[in-house]
Amino acid sequence: MKNKKLITVLVIAGIVLLLVFWGVSTRNGFVTKEQSVQKAQSQISTYLQRRADLIPNFVNTVEGYTNYEQSTLTAVTEARAKAGSATTAKEQSQANAELDRAINVWVNAVTEAYPNIKADTHFTALQDELAGSENRIATARKDYNDAVEEYNVAIRKFPASIIASISGFDKADYFENTAESNSVPNVSFSK
Amino acid sequence: MKKQLKRILPFCLVLLLCLCLCGCEEEKLTPTKEFYVNDFANVLEEDVKSEILSRGAELAEKTKAQVVAVTVDSTDGQEISDYALNLGRDWGIGDKEKNNGVLILLAVSDREVYIAVGYGLEGALPDSKTGRILDNYAVPYFKNDDFSQGMLSVYKAVQNEVYIEYGLEAEEGYVPVEFLAGDTEEDGNMLPIAISWIIMIAVIFIYIRVFGARGLFLFMGGPRGFGGGSRGGSGGFGGFSGGGGSFGGGGAGRGF
Repeated sequence: MKNKKLITVLVIAGIVLLLVFWGVSTRNGFVTKEQSVQKAQSQISTYLQRRADLIPNFVNTVEGYTNYEQSTLTAVTEARAKAGSATTAKEQSQANAELDRAINVWVNAVTEAYPNIKADTHFTALQDELAGSENRIATARKDYNDAVEEYNVAIRKFPASIIASISGFDKADYFENTAESNSVPNVSFSK
Repeated sequence: MKKQLKRILPFCLVLLLCLCLCGCEEEKLTPTKEFYVNDFANVLEEDVKSEILSRGAELAEKTKAQVVAVTVDSTDGQEISDYALNLGRDWGIGDKEKNNGVLILLAVSDREVYIAVGYGLEGALPDSKTGRILDNYAVPYFKNDDFSQGMLSVYKAVQNEVYIEYGLEAEEGYVPVEFLAGDTEEDGNMLPIAISWIIMIAVIFIYIRVFGARGLFLFMGGPRGFGGGSRGGSGGFGGFSGGGGSFGGGGAGRGF
């Protein structure tokens, strides 16, 4: 009789121990995935900053051609400021889309008004840097979304979702991909 | 029970979808045994191919950097930059730790050329310089449909820039490409690499904890695409392959 009781207690203790062990390792898995999301997000921020830093340089080069498109440039400056103050993934993606659009409009206006600028090596170089930045941002965004997806699926999958809600792991936001932000300034210098 | 099933079902569907997507992606190009030169469009002359191959092997031997030349007929509507990035990542061009791979991709019918630069060489080959290399060494030949000479000359240029980056002497007669604008990002890349290492180690530990010693094996065969994977190193068995390097979207392209 006593023996039976002991066995029951041991079995329950064993189950509890297993559960705790499972819970801890599941939680650790979330931490890892959350970490990769954060890493990917900081990568996006780095590249967004990189592009933001390029813009004044770009503007200076174009200024050499005088009388550059003032009205469209103001939009760029404003969008750039907005992007600089964005913090969350959602804000960043919106600001980024706006900046993309503004740059596109401006570059198109400049190259239309001053076709000769395409032959300028400085302009070409900056264009390449800008396009490369866009490219890196797009890549970082994709990597980020992949990490978010993996993380979100993990924390919502039953039964691990119980651990996630106990330890307060929240769903991460996707970096929205708007149609505008998809269009990289396209320049062909071959003409 | 029913409730559980309901909860699990969406994930099963997602998983299935993922599997489908993976399946679709699987039909991508696979590298040739020569690895450094992959003339899928059949536009390169034999002697050019063998010269690129020996140049690529020499460069990899000296610096562990891998420069890969690929010709395709078309990217099938995909942006050439995306196409190149995916190819570079899939093939794991460059050393796994140094991420020093470069992919020169020529899409013949699209009349486009793109150089994708791995994380580790973004300092040596910033986008503006890469664009300039294309302007100087590729476009003049490609414009006249001289794909062989164009590919060889752009390959040589990239190779020499990599030599210079690693403090080795460039070939005689090579004039380094003038560097004009933009920023050289150098040490900025070390942090993400360090973090990814830490994460990798953490993941291994978790695997071991969860699955015991088996975890290590599960890890090896487990999450694919972790920076390019465990593909073989260089050389051996009469062929070459990628070293597991990764790309972040750096590079430049031109139409011609």
